[in-house]
Amino acid sequence: ESLDVDAHDVFDHDPDLYGKMVRYPLEVLAIFDIVLMDLVARMEPLFEKHIQTRIYNLKSSICLRNLNPSDIEKMVSIKGMIIRCSSVIPELKEAVFRCLVCGFYSEPVMVDRGRVTEPHICQKEQCKASNSMTLVHNRCRFADKQIIKLQETPDEIPEGGTPHTVSVLMHDKLVDAGKPGDRVEITGIYRAMSIRIGPSQRTVKSIFKTYIDCLHIKKTDKSRLHIEDSMDTDNTNASKSSEDGHVTDKIDKLKELSKLPDIYDRLTRSLAPNIWELDDVKRGLLCQLFGGNALRLPSGANFRGDINILLVGDPGTSKSQLLQYMHKLSPRGIYTSGRGSSAVGLTAYVAKDPETGETVLESGALVLSDKGVCCIDEFDKMSDNARSMLHEVMEQQTVSIAKAGIIASLNARTSVLACANPSESRYNPRLSVIDNIHLPPTLLSRFDLIYLILDKADEQTDRRLAKHIVSLHFENPEVVEHQVLDLSTLVAYISYSRKYIHPKLSDEAAEELTRGYVAMRQRGNNPGSRKKVITATARQIESLIRLSEALARMRFSEVVGVRDVTEAFRLLEVAMQQSATDHATGTIDMDLIMTGVSSSERQRRDNLVAAIRDLVMEKMQLAGPSMRMAEVKKPYLSVHVVCPDTIAICPLS
Amino acid sequence: MVGPQYDLVGNPLGAVRATFERAAAAESGGRDPVAAFRSKDWGASEVFRSFLFEQGGLDKVPLLDASNLGLIKPNTLVRFRGMVQDMLGNEFYAGAFKDGSTWRTNKFTDFSPFAMPHPCDSHLWERHLFHCVPVPGQNSWTLESSPGPDLRQMANCLTPEQREKRKRDGDDDAMDVSENGNGGSSSCSKKPKEDDVQIPSSSAEMPASENVPQMNGNDHHIPGSSFSCLVKIYDMPESQVKLNDVAEFIGVYTFDPELAAPNDNSDDIMFDLIEDVTAQLPPSKVPRLHCLVWRKLSSVDFLAKHPAVEPLPSLLKGIRQSLLSHLTLVLGKDDLAANCLLLHLLSRLRTRVDVVTVGRLSLNFTGFNRESVSIFGKQLNTLIQGLMPYSQAIPLSIEYLNTATLQPRKDNKSGRLVTGVLQLPQGAHLTFDETLLQSGSLASKGVENTVLLKNLMESQMVEYDFEYYKLEMATDVQLLTLSEGKSNILPSDLVVPFRASTVSAVNATSEELESWRWYLATVRSLPQSSEPEIYQTIQDEMVSAMRNDRSLGCTELSRWLTMAQITASSFGEKSLSLEHWQMAKELERLRKERMQ
Repeated sequence: ESLDVDAHDVFDHDPDLYGKMVRYPLEVLAIFDIVLMDLVARMEPLFEKHIQTRIYNLKSSICLRNLNPSDIEKMVSIKGMIIRCSSVIPELKEAVFRCLVCGFYSEPVMVDRGRVTEPHICQKEQCKASNSMTLVHNRCRFADKQIIKLQETPDEIPEGGTPHTVSVLMHDKLVDAGKPGDRVEITGIYRAMSIRIGPSQRTVKSIFKTYIDCLHIKKTDKSRLHIEDSMDTDNTNASKSSEDGHVTDKIDKLKELSKLPDIYDRLTRSLAPNIWELDDVKRGLLCQLFGGNALRLPSGANFRGDINILLVGDPGTSKSQLLQYMHKLSPRGIYTSGRGSSAVGLTAYVAKDPETGETVLESGALVLSDKGVCCIDEFDKMSDNARSMLHEVMEQQTVSIAKAGIIASLNARTSVLACANPSESRYNPRLSVIDNIHLPPTLLSRFDLIYLILDKADEQTDRRLAKHIVSLHFENPEVVEHQVLDLSTLVAYISYSRKYIHPKLSDEAAEELTRGYVAMRQRGNNPGSRKKVITATARQIESLIRLSEALARMRFSEVVGVRDVTEAFRLLEVAMQQSATDHATGTIDMDLIMTGVSSSERQRRDNLVAAIRDLVMEKMQLAGPSMRMAEVKKPYLSVHVVCPDTIAICPLS
Repeated sequence: MVGPQYDLVGNPLGAVRATFERAAAAESGGRDPVAAFRSKDWGASEVFRSFLFEQGGLDKVPLLDASNLGLIKPNTLVRFRGMVQDMLGNEFYAGAFKDGSTWRTNKFTDFSPFAMPHPCDSHLWERHLFHCVPVPGQNSWTLESSPGPDLRQMANCLTPEQREKRKRDGDDDAMDVSENGNGGSSSCSKKPKEDDVQIPSSSAEMPASENVPQMNGNDHHIPGSSFSCLVKIYDMPESQVKLNDVAEFIGVYTFDPELAAPNDNSDDIMFDLIEDVTAQLPPSKVPRLHCLVWRKLSSVDFLAKHPAVEPLPSLLKGIRQSLLSHLTLVLGKDDLAANCLLLHLLSRLRTRVDVVTVGRLSLNFTGFNRESVSIFGKQLNTLIQGLMPYSQAIPLSIEYLNTATLQPRKDNKSGRLVTGVLQLPQGAHLTFDETLLQSGSLASKGVENTVLLKNLMESQMVEYDFEYYKLEMATDVQLLTLSEGKSNILPSDLVVPFRASTVSAVNATSEELESWRWYLATVRSLPQSSEPEIYQTIQDEMVSAMRNDRSLGCTELSRWLTMAQITASSFGEKSLSLEHWQMAKELERLRKERMQ
């Protein structure tokens, strides 16, 4: 049994006592124990168990690396990670011996400093046989003991160093208190022990082995802001109680940051600071990093919280750099090139292009990036087969694999960030997005935001880029850009927010959302046009909710406000204006994304179909059944420039 | 000191003791005279330093290596050149103790020459342990450059070494058995020890247990380097030495077989579990070196003699020309490729801003097939071996990717860092032969390996596996890839289609090689200054280039500048001039032409 004593309380009570306790722990702790036993005996006279004081929370903790000879025999507190545990060792505390001659049991013999003095002769008066005593194991008393290895945590390792380790000795209750991989804070007494070569040798080796006699162990990993867990939104049971000062400090700093009025702009600036312009794209990417709330209805329906983004653009517009940067920021990001991503395979395949001899690596990226961002470069070059997998991933967030008779459904709760080059290597502004990137519209509609990054020849930008490169090479101190969060803070900010902030839509925001959505849909109802043009679909409203949730998260706000919704609309519109504009009429048309055919185009086709039908009917009445397809096409091909496939199907209907 | 009283090479500890006694006597006024010597030098290393570097004693100190291990007498002064492969933490030892009325010291030795009275007044000091190995991929010419007095056959005798290793492993097993035998008789069985080691890590580390036999000190997979040294360094903050540093350690070689013997039949079984990493490094195979003086080595230190010549542009220009013409010959009269190769050989990582690395120039020669690799690749490798201090050629095949251990990994069971191919010193050169790569499946290890290689290529970082987390270590490695088409597995900075016209066997004389080595080492260490006037011109040129070719991005422009800067320093210039910028651009133009 034990009693935990906070060292801070000891200090508050008597700083001198605290100092003595740290400097001479062996003596002081023994006194503590005696006092404690006394108290217990007074409160509960029947209490017989041994009770021990366990000090924790020392005022200063030491870095494992800095333990040095002057810390020997002192109380220290160190943080680290358990890397190995021994099995539980029973340690003999009291030994009982039995005489082999007469069967007499000796009194229990206490173990003194690891040695048991075996009685030489039987103590029974009648027997007195010498060297007859043998140990009776099941009558002895044992205590549990365990040795663990503690290693420095990665953040304490200086550059170019390897982590140090120290052995920690655990007794009784502390046994199995930590598992390998746990981050713990240990309070204990640092001890050194000389190594004797052998009992016969008179020389003592001059080397000492060191270990820590553990008094108290505290797990710290629940609250750490660490990258591995950061995307772990399921883990809501993180106990706040175990937060230690350092982490709280960090969190406070993050919270302070979140209160800044310009945090949104600041975050935008901090994202890939060496890529300029593209501010709205960066905002969209930020939303992707923060993500919306994933929702699971009791009915089993799932609403994904991940935001998928597609970047389409001319070569050389730093799309790839953006992707690389996102991959660095996102904890479980996978970066893959669409050229030969098999999407699901857990192993990879090296393929060789038969013509050029180029080697390509095919890897299974999606499953590996569960709860992360999957960055797919050269999305347009992805094989159809792999792409079809994405349909499932992007909406259901699972991947189904059928192999050797087993059908497995793996989680792939990943945000997809893809970038594609236009099919004709440069974007043709006269064609629609669909025509520019040869992607099936069903897939396109699953992207929340589609950005067109067009390379507008802009000398200003070029000059800035050139200047940046030159300064990079000549080590100009100009690199210091103020008001930008560094990478680690940004990562911490995002992971904290993803883990702890789960914003809800406020009523006003919901109102605004509805209003905006209706307005968007109505925009299609041009008074002039005969048929309604759809400018927004149900998918868009889901996207909008996700975006506004992400925006609220950026401010660490638990409520999605009207301003978030407005900004979400703005982001969506910016993205749509670029991608969903029907180049024939100049209006936003979701049909373009949803089906790949704009409504004006569709109308043209409808007209065509009607005309052909008329023609067919007419011909059939005139000339009977047999008639060549070419004849049907002929008169119309000259009028409409449409692909022949469309017509070929029409007569059958 | 006027003429060392002691034979510093033959009996360095005598000198250590003499200086200690003198210093202790000087301090004797105090109550505790030696307390002041904790983690401080009392003048011993000063004696050695002046002997080694000022009186030319360095050449008298034998160089410790695999061949003369066992021939060198213990407790003598030796030198060891190697790479810090692992850091084993600190060791506490009784630094000073009182024998009767005199203070004695244990510094620079494992054993006290005097019996330590059991309960005695002693001071606990610390020292740092480093596990050092011969530099991976070290080329033979670097060994010749530092001959010791009893220069032995430097050629690595691989087979006897391996045989020894096997034998040693056998020994270890035998030890274990005896240990268990003893354990059975004592009150508590020793069996738990074996079990507990496996329980916590059984699932994660099954393959690791297979590695354990080869773990004992010489786990280096590079043939011939199955030799290592445990260096103990005193009086120094540990941060001064970094992992993968190449250094020369001069100190006392100690050997004591008793240290190796496991302290069995000890009364405290538990402390077997607080095992010592050094216990896995048997002193008969892994010598102990108590370091008195050490210094970091750069590639200049490997040159045979230091021609104390000022690296004047005129001189460098001449050597550059001869090296370039030789490279052209080696590359079958492909002038462009030779130029690019020169730039590549001169490249080094200069700065690192966030994720961007500046100064590296990895090269990819395309258009190789198996036949041409066997001709040109071989010549190229021989040449690189002759020029660079450390280089390795790696045949990149599916099998290699699936089986090779590229990633250094911490084995928490033994507490040691198991090296991988990518644990390399700064400035190492790697050549990948990708023509061997065929279509095929990569296992998970293969995937990890390709990711590692790609990371190394793109950001000059190698991830070390510490079981519970990964740690990225910065490296500076030059990478050359020979492939059929552009390699996408190893994305290089510079892709050059290789066009050889003739095959000519060329051999360089040793003087030529020497001057080239000096040239490469000197140019790579040349400082780069900058003159702001040229910035504007370069910026303008970049802007106009971007206007003409919209596909130019940050990476291309950055590479141009790197090439221009290396071109400048290849002529011995300290700052970039417009002329060299134009040369780099011309090279780039020729390369582009060839790409089409």
